[in-house]
Amino acid sequence: MSPRYTTLVASLPPLGGLFEAREPAISRLKLQSRLSLLHPNDRRSLDRAIGILSQGLFETSSDDGGTSGGGAAQGGAGGDALLLADTQRFFREVSNPLLRQLVGHRLDLRTVVAALRRRHRGESEPPRDQAWGYGPLLPTIERHWSEPTLGLAGVLPWIGEAVRLLESNDLIGLERLLFTLIWRELDRLAQGHNFDFEAVVIYLARWSLVERWSNYDTVAAARRFRQLVHGGLGRFTDTIAVCAAR
Amino acid sequence: MNDHLSLTVLGWIGIYAPVALGAIGAAIGCTIAGQAAIGAMMEVSSGYGRFVGLSALPSSMSIYGIVVMFILNRPVTPINSGGLFGIGVLSGLAFLVAAIYQGLCCASAISGSKSKPEIFGLALAPAAIVEGFAVFAFVFALVAAGGIPTS
Repeated sequence: MSPRYTTLVASLPPLGGLFEAREPAISRLKLQSRLSLLHPNDRRSLDRAIGILSQGLFETSSDDGGTSGGGAAQGGAGGDALLLADTQRFFREVSNPLLRQLVGHRLDLRTVVAALRRRHRGESEPPRDQAWGYGPLLPTIERHWSEPTLGLAGVLPWIGEAVRLLESNDLIGLERLLFTLIWRELDRLAQGHNFDFEAVVIYLARWSLVERWSNYDTVAAARRFRQLVHGGLGRFTDTIAVCAAR
Repeated sequence: MNDHLSLTVLGWIGIYAPVALGAIGAAIGCTIAGQAAIGAMMEVSSGYGRFVGLSALPSSMSIYGIVVMFILNRPVTPINSGGLFGIGVLSGLAFLVAAIYQGLCCASAISGSKSKPEIFGLALAPAAIVEGFAVFAFVFALVAAGGIPTS
């Protein structure tokens, strides 16, 4: 552990728990300014990783109206192909073990979720003509496509819970489960890293989760507000319409 | 003749090692803790003094080094050079490593207490424990130095 980024890490406020914060403890602008303390080589590696990590777990070609609106913007299968190209480039160019581990874990998770959602959507077999996933779990998933847990129950104990949440259309619950898994993985990876580059990477990964979750909350709150307004005005809709006609 | 010279050199290395190694360690430790203090000051709007004060804690290792050097300082002879070298180098290494790790402890204490000022006192405990180990090395270097012949 090299204390290379003591100033940077010490200047970052604690993020608190994953689902506790209403908003990230530090704004994106301020965080960007603090990251200017990174060495250019580290910054380049970090940017490569962020390009992959910042894409939501639901942003896949199988997006059928999930919780994230970013997937549509990615352009379906084109978005997946782009992500896979980014991933291959990342693993070619970045040698930092923790960054590789972090991206690998996130892609495994994303591949599993993509498979579950495709199957939930009614696809009876994995796509043959397009790249849709990445990582060592892919062959197992394709072989055990028809099994409820994709043959991964032994490796991923949480997959049963994910299947149950998806089948009950509890997408928020599923997102919460996935975020918790990533947060725990970050806890594990953070062991022994206090003031080095890895500590900065882990902080950023956590910050991105908190920011994403707090944004979800904002979207959910806006939706709920609209529902309440609609529900409250519902009884008066006819009256307003009559008044307008007069 | 050569043997005599080598032993003399070893003796002088032993005399100066506690200061040199203690100063190197203190410089590294204070740098680590000082960087953390600067980082914390970017985030908080008060309490700067205690961060800077805490970041100077590893400097005590160079003071221990100076004291050990004064105790060891005597005419170097082939009889006492081995003892001077052993006690000087090993106590210096102890100060060096203790200073670096104490710097890390101080950096963690600064980083942790910037958002939770109430843990400042408790956060000092790891640095104080490291200081305790350095004091062991210091005291027993003084005790052992008493047994080295002066000429």
